[in-house]
Amino acid sequence: MLGRTILSVLLMTSLIITSGCWSRKELNELAVVMALGIDTHKDGYAVSAQVLNSSELATKSGGSIGSLPVVTYKSVGKTVPDALQRMLSMAPRMLYLSHVRVLVLGEDLARQGVSDVLDYISRNHQLRTNFFMLIAKNGNASEILEVVTPFEYIPANSLYSSILISEKKWAATGKVTLQQFVNELKQSGSDPILSGVQLNGSSAEGQSVENVKKISPSTLLQHAGLGVFKGDRLVGWLGEPPSKTVNYVLNRVESTAGYVSCPSGGIVGFTVNRADTSLDVMLSAENIPRFSVKMEIEADINSVQCPININQPSAIEALERSIEDKYNENIEKHVKDVQQRYGADIFALGEVLHRKYPQVWKTYRSHWGESFQSMSIDVHSHVAIRRIGSIIQPLNQEVDEK
Amino acid sequence: MQNITRKEGLQEALPILISEFIENMKTRFGQSGDIIYRELLLGTIPAVIVYIEGMGDPRFLIEALHMDSPLFKELTNQSPDDRVRMLKDLTITMGKVGEATTYSEVEENVLSGNTVVFIEGTSTSLYVGTEKLKQRGVEEASSQSVVRGPREGFTESLRENTALVRRRIQSPKLRIEERKVGEHTHTQLAVMYMDGLADTEVLDELRTRLNGIKLDSVLESNYIEEMIQDHRYSPFPTVYNSERPDVIASAILEGRIAILVEGTPFVLVVPALFVQFFQSSEDYYQRWDFASLVRLLRYLCFGIALLTPSLYIAISTFHQEMLPTNLLTSLIGQREGVPFPAFIEAVIMEITFEILREAGIRLPKSIGQSVSIVGTLVIGQAAVEAGLVSAAMVIVVSITAIANFALPAFNVGISVRILRFGLMAIAASFGLYGMIIGLIVLGLHLCSLQSMGVPYMTSFAPIRWRSQKDALLRLSRHNMKKYMGKVKS
Repeated sequence: MLGRTILSVLLMTSLIITSGCWSRKELNELAVVMALGIDTHKDGYAVSAQVLNSSELATKSGGSIGSLPVVTYKSVGKTVPDALQRMLSMAPRMLYLSHVRVLVLGEDLARQGVSDVLDYISRNHQLRTNFFMLIAKNGNASEILEVVTPFEYIPANSLYSSILISEKKWAATGKVTLQQFVNELKQSGSDPILSGVQLNGSSAEGQSVENVKKISPSTLLQHAGLGVFKGDRLVGWLGEPPSKTVNYVLNRVESTAGYVSCPSGGIVGFTVNRADTSLDVMLSAENIPRFSVKMEIEADINSVQCPININQPSAIEALERSIEDKYNENIEKHVKDVQQRYGADIFALGEVLHRKYPQVWKTYRSHWGESFQSMSIDVHSHVAIRRIGSIIQPLNQEVDEK
Repeated sequence: MQNITRKEGLQEALPILISEFIENMKTRFGQSGDIIYRELLLGTIPAVIVYIEGMGDPRFLIEALHMDSPLFKELTNQSPDDRVRMLKDLTITMGKVGEATTYSEVEENVLSGNTVVFIEGTSTSLYVGTEKLKQRGVEEASSQSVVRGPREGFTESLRENTALVRRRIQSPKLRIEERKVGEHTHTQLAVMYMDGLADTEVLDELRTRLNGIKLDSVLESNYIEEMIQDHRYSPFPTVYNSERPDVIASAILEGRIAILVEGTPFVLVVPALFVQFFQSSEDYYQRWDFASLVRLLRYLCFGIALLTPSLYIAISTFHQEMLPTNLLTSLIGQREGVPFPAFIEAVIMEITFEILREAGIRLPKSIGQSVSIVGTLVIGQAAVEAGLVSAAMVIVVSITAIANFALPAFNVGISVRILRFGLMAIAASFGLYGMIIGLIVLGLHLCSLQSMGVPYMTSFAPIRWRSQKDALLRLSRHNMKKYMGKVKS
């Protein structure tokens, strides 16, 4: 009995040893891809991968030879995986895609359509679905992945955190993950948007570490508004104010800044601390949908550059009203603009209709692209000014009184 | 066997003559120098007292027998048997006196430190309780020290130990059953329990198991523990031990049964439950909220001590996608240039640590310190600088070791140490998948264990809501008016 027990334990142990850890990969056998760039090429796709140069990350001295912490490999292939395979002819380690932080698509590719590329990206089990997607505005994705950035010595991380912070505080960029993009693409009542990124400076200068050795780096990566997609094709770019509008309507604004003119000339600046938007749809008697955007905004005054008597509640109320007017007017204008110019439902109005009146939606579904252009949208904003800062009266007014 | 045949060859009943008695005793004990035969006269009657120097102290007995009392004159007039009775009833001032009529009785008494008085003319001798062993006084318990709470620890003397418990439970319901085990050692054993609180089934089971013990010698309570535990091959202890009288008293008050063994300060408690090994007596001496949090911390430490190295191996060699990206980049940087796979690295470090621990534990304190300094320097710094191991692995091994020390019961710490290596091997071969299977097996094993017929995981599996007040947490005493932990099979 004991003999049999020992034998079976031995056999089971040998099972562990002989099967040999087949999916094991040590950390120092990996080339971690931090960012992936995809461009069009006459032979298919040009793929560039920003890979962690791990020996440069070593904390101990000796391993490092003073080169940069990332290497960007470039290769061409009929398909994206084909190009990635070919990359192994240059890279000494297995490419590991699970930690991709940003996927940059070249503008040409975006204009041709991104579905084919995204098919691989979504199909591959290694890739997560929560990395950010960007479009290289007026350029190639590979250029974006070749810039040495300050602060974060891994450029992909720099790009990643700048998307986070600009989305949070500036509200004119889009923090769009693969998951979100594909959802918006596949829903019949919405079109996706993607944030653009461009080089501020020359590509050649940005490639060397000399770039960040200067107090004012000659080449920087810059976010450049939102790209509007119709289906899977990029159809145009929005400037800063329309980009903000899109984020307001999609309820993605956390905080941003703005200004409004005073009745007596000059301007008052404000910070938005909370913005809450709800989209709704009503049906008219003829079953024509009519959309409404309701916005609740809480703002703080951050700079007063005109002579108003701000300690009067009426002055604050007047300011609130004029901010509301500005919002109503601008947002309505920008939405119209998108409707007319691109006919792309990046506000997901179709989905709102679909959810509220599924029956009505059925009649629009097949030709929503055209119908969207003629939909009317009302904007109602409500602004509340919460704080006016550490001083009360504008400095220039106090000067006048003396 | 030889012993027994020799014994059988000897006559059992005591003789009448002193000279014959002494001669026979000397044959039985050989020429052992520590056995003292002191001959004296009671009035006119010759007598001899026999004791072992160092174990018994018959000073007061000798004084009592040397008193020039009129009783001794009367003694001469009595018949031999009445003399014994008279001595016993009137002369001897000691508390514990009895009659011994056979050599084995005499032998046993002399060996346990009593003094035997043999009077010429009768084959009935007297034994007098004169045990007096030079022993360690009650000192602070070194294996389970507390910040707040009694400092006393048990000593090597069984009597002293039972008294320490009795002093805490002054109840007539506290019962002590004594017996002797060990063919050669005749070690005294005391089973202590509260009548009415202790489960009779558990008690009967314990008695049966104690009766079944066939051992030549019992020098420490572990001899008994190994004989009475339910599962010989489980890494988990199913018998609790402590050298603190307050812990034992509280266990007895919870309805558990304590087994005290002569010669060791470590007292056994059955039935022992899994939760018990995570409780410290101090939990009850500090505020309940703090005690509850500390208790949770201990369960966390159990998890850390058991799992950290294997989790590190599994995640860093199979599931890199689970790491936050920034952590991954920093880990990759550290592992760069390390020549071994993570598993080998972990095993090297763990074994080195076990060596250090083993080396430090038995060394004199002054040398132990230098061992730990060399250990920290060599392993902590030099190995990382030389690129043999990664800094992260040093952190993993150290946190594992420290968490291991945070477990209040040393013996559950041992189980964790053993299981850790198994889990590391599984993690290295099958990743998290293997670890989960390993943990499921471990869970099943824990649930299958019993201690004296009581399920080991009691209060979790089978779940007992009432006893949750003192299991994972320790709630306020207002919530625990009755003894919650009364153990039932």
